[in-house]
Amino acid sequence: MSSGASVAGANSMQLIAFSIGEQTYGVEITTVREIRAWNGATPLPNTREFVRGVINLRGTIVPIFDLRARFGEGVTSPTKNHVVVVMSVGEKWVGILVDAVSDILTVAKTDIHNVPEGNSIDTELLNGIVTHESRMVGLIDLHAVVSGAKMDS
Amino acid sequence: MSDLDDFKATYFDECSELLLELEEQFAAIEEGDHSSNRLNAVFRAIHSIKGGGGAFGFSGLVGFAHAYETLLDHVRDGRVELSEPVVALCIRANDIVADFVAAAKDGAELEAGYGAEEKLQFDTLTSGDPDMVGEPMEEFDIDFVPVMVTIAGAEDDAMAEAPLSLAILDDAFEAPPLAPEAGHWTIRFTPHSELYARANDPLLLLRELGTLGDIKVRAVLDEIPALADFEPFGVYCSWEIALRSDTATEATIAEVFEFVEGNCDLTITRGEAPVAEAALDAEIEAMPSFAQLMADEAQPEPLAVAEDASSAQLISFEALAESMKPALKAAPPVLPPPLKQAAPAEEFDGENDRRSGVEDRRNGVQSIRVDLDKIDRVVNMVGELVITQSMLTQQMDETLRARYQELVRGLEVLAQTTRGLQDSVMSIRAQPVKTVFSRMPRLVRELASKTGKKIRLETIGENTEIDKTIIEQLSDPLTHMIRNSADHGIESPEKRLAAGKSESGAIRLSAEQAGGNILIAVEDDGGGINRERVLQVARDRGVVGPEQALSDEQIDQLIFAPGFSTASEISDISGRGVGMDVVLSNIKKIGGSVHVKSWTGRGTRMTLRLPLTLAVLDVMLVKVAGSPYVIPLSSIVETIQCARANFSRMPTGAQVLQVRGEYVQVVDLASRFEMTTEVERDNRFVVLCEAEGGVKVAVIVDDIIGQQQVVIKSLEENFQSIEGIAGGTILGDGNVALIVDVQGLKSTTTAHKSAA
Repeated sequence: MSSGASVAGANSMQLIAFSIGEQTYGVEITTVREIRAWNGATPLPNTREFVRGVINLRGTIVPIFDLRARFGEGVTSPTKNHVVVVMSVGEKWVGILVDAVSDILTVAKTDIHNVPEGNSIDTELLNGIVTHESRMVGLIDLHAVVSGAKMDS
Repeated sequence: MSDLDDFKATYFDECSELLLELEEQFAAIEEGDHSSNRLNAVFRAIHSIKGGGGAFGFSGLVGFAHAYETLLDHVRDGRVELSEPVVALCIRANDIVADFVAAAKDGAELEAGYGAEEKLQFDTLTSGDPDMVGEPMEEFDIDFVPVMVTIAGAEDDAMAEAPLSLAILDDAFEAPPLAPEAGHWTIRFTPHSELYARANDPLLLLRELGTLGDIKVRAVLDEIPALADFEPFGVYCSWEIALRSDTATEATIAEVFEFVEGNCDLTITRGEAPVAEAALDAEIEAMPSFAQLMADEAQPEPLAVAEDASSAQLISFEALAESMKPALKAAPPVLPPPLKQAAPAEEFDGENDRRSGVEDRRNGVQSIRVDLDKIDRVVNMVGELVITQSMLTQQMDETLRARYQELVRGLEVLAQTTRGLQDSVMSIRAQPVKTVFSRMPRLVRELASKTGKKIRLETIGENTEIDKTIIEQLSDPLTHMIRNSADHGIESPEKRLAAGKSESGAIRLSAEQAGGNILIAVEDDGGGINRERVLQVARDRGVVGPEQALSDEQIDQLIFAPGFSTASEISDISGRGVGMDVVLSNIKKIGGSVHVKSWTGRGTRMTLRLPLTLAVLDVMLVKVAGSPYVIPLSSIVETIQCARANFSRMPTGAQVLQVRGEYVQVVDLASRFEMTTEVERDNRFVVLCEAEGGVKVAVIVDDIIGQQQVVIKSLEENFQSIEGIAGGTILGDGNVALIVDVQGLKSTTTAHKSAA
């Protein structure tokens, strides 16, 4: 993960887990700024399909990324029940559109495994895989998710 | 040392203000107003620049300013007449001082001997007076009477201060023998209890003073009362400092105490310290015990401390503590009432005439320096407030209005207050255009001497206020415009006389507010634009087609076309690059427009129309494929319904719009942004925009919603820049609208074309 500090101690970390269809993904809780319901976004021209557009977050313009589309599984048709998780990536704030936020998980760092080689999109976008109560949680690499947003890139 | 950097920054800020003041004063002096107020103001300004310069060791600046100041002093006293050549010399000297300041600011080196010629002229002018010849620059004629005040009942920990002063004392004794030619200063520093209450430490001040030169510090402990009357928090200690320094001036010494001003009594006098080193040593030998001191104090006659500084006693902390033991047993002595002298503060003020103008300003105008970032944050938040307020108002429909009348009234008040708040915040950022106008007289002087023409500059409305960011962007365009006027507008004296005009040409620089805009005009009484020539060059360069007929006005506008960016193409006077296209692009960038009007043989007027502020942008709100977009009003020429627009196809198949004999490139925003629109073609609209260099683009949108003001938001802050989009903004309903980058649309189109 990009940020090393964790609220759960040196040997474990806390994740916010969210779902896209049957899949569960997580990000470290310290990177999450807020969670809000989907309320539409202004589409941005000349960007890839996983850029849903921009929203107004208390006066600043924040881009929204469709995580489903980012994993190449088609564009989400969002409803009021869909959720935007606003996170900080370096200096920037971005929103990730997901189906639902499910849980806060505390996982031991030793339980984080490398992503198996093979599936290129997963190795590109995930930092690791955690098993939590027999569920497999993919750790999102936010830097990778937000990169390559422009049409030409 | 970052503190020093802060002081330096403040100094340079003040310098630019002072230089501005000089420019202003001399403008009046040139007109014949030789009143002493003006001369004093000039003197003060130069003096302050010199004083601060000395503190930071800008020796070139200080040397020049000193010579200049001496001349001014002579002029002020009537020893040198303020004749025309002297005024001219002074004006040149102001420019040189400005150059010195600029060089000091940038850490640059001016060529050796810069300003030497003028300095020599100063010396020649002032050398008639024997008093002033060879006067060392530290000399100030200050009437000084050493005074001292006892602060009765003052509360502070004087005991704690005593060892501090001793530390300094030790340093002083270890100091190497002083150079005999060094300047001597005596400083008497008497802190008030407030000084300590504000957490100031005399030790730090004395140390700072020590950086100016070699210092000897004597603690004056005469005021220490008998133990019975000793207040633990009383202030009984003052210091007398003998400073030897080549560079120190009264101003630099006073600056050390700048932050405790008003919380202490301070007298600075030039000259040998009353107590020389030997005397000091002797005094230590003859140091009376504390008991003796007490005995002295018991005498009814008061100590003559004020007149005789040598009676100030030097005492070590150990000795003090030692001597206190018997004092503990001693009966409470009868003490004379504490000495009171005339308030030295008045004395201090009396000197202010010769002291910095900075001081005057601090006392006169109630103002503070605020970091621009802080104001920007307030401006942004007020922008948000305005949007939120308009959003609330929009959501009040008729039924709500009828039901909640109190709420409606409250919202109306809120709207008013918000608007008032916005105006006030904007006025904080506003600055008079004077700050940029004041640079122009010098430019005109230089241009006049370079071109051999006689040019007079008039400025009108220089107190018109405009947003600081815009002011900063104005300097370059105005410089170009004035250069253009001087180079091409104003004719040579011979030509002018032949044309029946006065020998010297005039350039008038004016500013006025017109509604939500500021108009800045540069007008000359020269020959006007040579339209035949401009058109010829335009045709040669392919800016204008061979068949294309242009009105006089259109020809005049051609000087802003990029093809005309160098002067040599339409002028034989000068090879200086005068990029009028730069003017246009700079002004467009800040949301303004440029208009030129020329009268053959009578002159040219160029007018800049600028928004009052950059924080708010006037836009037209449009819809494309269901999404809101805004187009800056400043770039919109007109709007046309598609059904009435005259489209045609180029042989290549590209669509063009015909507007009044002009073929304009068409950009359909929906297809450019790769979105699909369901609006029928005929129901859509053409927004005719003008990009940089006067190139027009016809932008097709689905619908026009209306005009409004928006606050510009950056997309890059959290994302990245996008082609064809200049930024974002938040609409009244809280949604984000994107700002169309007209210039970018044009360039992407060209890129697409060339790629195809």
